[in-house]
Amino acid sequence: MADQLVVDVAGLRKHYGSIEAVRGLDLQVPRGSIYGLLGRNGAGKTTTIKVLLGMARPTAGSAHVFGLAADAPDASVEIRRRTGFVSEDKELYDYMTVAEIVRFTAAFYPRWRRDLEERYLRAFELPAAMKVKALSRGTRTKLALLLALCRGAELLVLDEPTAGLDPAVTEQVLQALVGHVARDETTIFFSSHQIAEVEQIADRIAIVDRGRAVLAGALDELRESFRRVQLVFDREAPHAVFRAAGVARVRRQGRVLTESSTGGAEPILEEARALGPVSVDVGPVTLKEIFLETVATED
Amino acid sequence: MLFRPNPSLGVPIYLQLMEQVKHAVETGALRPGDQLPGIRPLAEELVINPNTVAKAYRELEHDGVIELRHGAGAFVTAQGGGRKLADKVRAAQPVVAAAIERLRARGLTDEEIRRLFEAELAGLTRTGGQRG
Amino acid sequence: MLWYKAWLETRWRFLIGLAILMASACGTVFIYPQVQRLIPLAPSVDAGGELGRRVQEAVQLSREYRGYVWSQWFRQNLIQMWTVFAALLGAGGLLSQSSGGAVLYTLSMPASRTRLLGVRAAAGLVELVALAVVPSLLIPLLSPAVGDSYSVVDALAHSACLFLGGAVFFGLAVLLSTVFADIWRPLLIALAAAAVIAIGEQFVRDVSPVGLFRLMNGETYFRTRHLPWTGLLVTTAATTALLYGAASSIARRDF
Repeated sequence: MADQLVVDVAGLRKHYGSIEAVRGLDLQVPRGSIYGLLGRNGAGKTTTIKVLLGMARPTAGSAHVFGLAADAPDASVEIRRRTGFVSEDKELYDYMTVAEIVRFTAAFYPRWRRDLEERYLRAFELPAAMKVKALSRGTRTKLALLLALCRGAELLVLDEPTAGLDPAVTEQVLQALVGHVARDETTIFFSSHQIAEVEQIADRIAIVDRGRAVLAGALDELRESFRRVQLVFDREAPHAVFRAAGVARVRRQGRVLTESSTGGAEPILEEARALGPVSVDVGPVTLKEIFLETVATED
Repeated sequence: MLFRPNPSLGVPIYLQLMEQVKHAVETGALRPGDQLPGIRPLAEELVINPNTVAKAYRELEHDGVIELRHGAGAFVTAQGGGRKLADKVRAAQPVVAAAIERLRARGLTDEEIRRLFEAELAGLTRTGGQRG
Repeated sequence: MLWYKAWLETRWRFLIGLAILMASACGTVFIYPQVQRLIPLAPSVDAGGELGRRVQEAVQLSREYRGYVWSQWFRQNLIQMWTVFAALLGAGGLLSQSSGGAVLYTLSMPASRTRLLGVRAAAGLVELVALAVVPSLLIPLLSPAVGDSYSVVDALAHSACLFLGGAVFFGLAVLLSTVFADIWRPLLIALAAAAVIAIGEQFVRDVSPVGLFRLMNGETYFRTRHLPWTGLLVTTAATTALLYGAASSIARRDF
């Protein structure tokens, strides 16, 4: 049961006319994880999310949520019955009040959590009688989150949940998400530009670039295996080609050769020492650096 | 009592958490028999992934620092576990001090010494030291 | 709750339409005494050709109250305004920008697109029935105030012809709304289609026995007191086909 994949995407492709938004994406989200999707704008994150929720149909490949096919209309309704969603633009019904949109959404979900509704209305300070169009962006995001969290959903799909929010509200949102996973055994799948917040709460990540997942796995494992090795020479650094697997990037700057790879430092050190450097420096790499290195090499 | 781990340090969060607990046990802030916060409440309070907290607790149990009593929670083990760890660390300290002393005597700066240690550790831990 | 949402989205269009049509119905009734006074003057109006023929026809019909109501209300005021609202209520469905850009939110609900479209269409049709029937029922209600009477059955029969015949414009607007994201193009195209058909009918009226607007104004019923069942069946089938097409169109669309 615990090994069941909540989201399983294989070879997903999606074209909008001549634009290839997703070009062979593979992704697996295990139950109970907080899965962060990182990527630049236009990398295909939002398109992937839309496919999972039946808002767009794949051109090729497959996408399954809860083991159900995301592109089958009936299955898609069932998927949405068990999923909470927050869109990138956080657009809600302008003409409804907070209370009205809550009631509207609750009507679709028999497992609606009234207790969470009251808690989040209070915690997020959402005025029940105010029209949605009068809410600030941050408040609207909190409302969108409430509407997703109270559905009694097994999976939360969030597209940039903290975009445009100030740090205090961001922390509130992250706390609500973490609390939700802890208490209700939900799975969270979210895309983000905020690397810091991904590092903080995600246990698995995927880095998406140009329609493909270029790096995916458990965050801790990635951090432990991604290493930067810096070699300093007493002469101009040689043009080195590392044959070891997983080398992401090699940079030469004067007498310094910097190499980063996902395979850990061991495989590199043999080849590194053979070059005869004056010093060998091995260091860990932050997620931000991993992201920049991985995405940059695609250029 | 437990501080927010820093995700950007490059050190996994679960390790930071483990260090904090071990440090608390060593200094006596946490005494044998004391109960640690539950996994879920701690995750919420620190705003980190509950799986991460769970992993830290599992590793701490593996190290003998705490014990997980089914249904009751996580408790600091009797003096034995704590002392064992603290003793190990305390015994190792003069070895490191002596090595650094000798390297300094050879004219190496502290920076160079630090890099040598890291390079050695990187070479050694890649296959041996990692735990699942 | 989808019904409630559809109501929230269309209520102003509906209520304004209802107010306008009811006011127009009242006006139609209360102007009759003036019209009666003007009728004897009609023969002295010297206008030839099509226009003259029309004026003479209107005058002839208006000699009698029932004819007046048909000629002024069901054949003119009501049908023109109602058709506009048919297109207006059909445009901008649940899945268009008129929802406030929250299309994705709607699509994240566990409801099939067919259901989303179906509820919206059904709500619009209910509103259109009300717009056809309620103002028309004012005529029998208010006629005694000007000393005449109008049969409720007649009012209902004409309303039925109007609704069942004119629902095609609603269906067309709904179908177009699944193709265009904005509210204006479906509306304008549907209205343009109505205008083209209406004008076209004028030209072929002596040649062709059938016509959509002729169906909608219930001319057959007026003259024979028999409902044009065949015609109404055809238009109902057409409306159903248009809505079915809309459902297929929206089911295939990528957002």
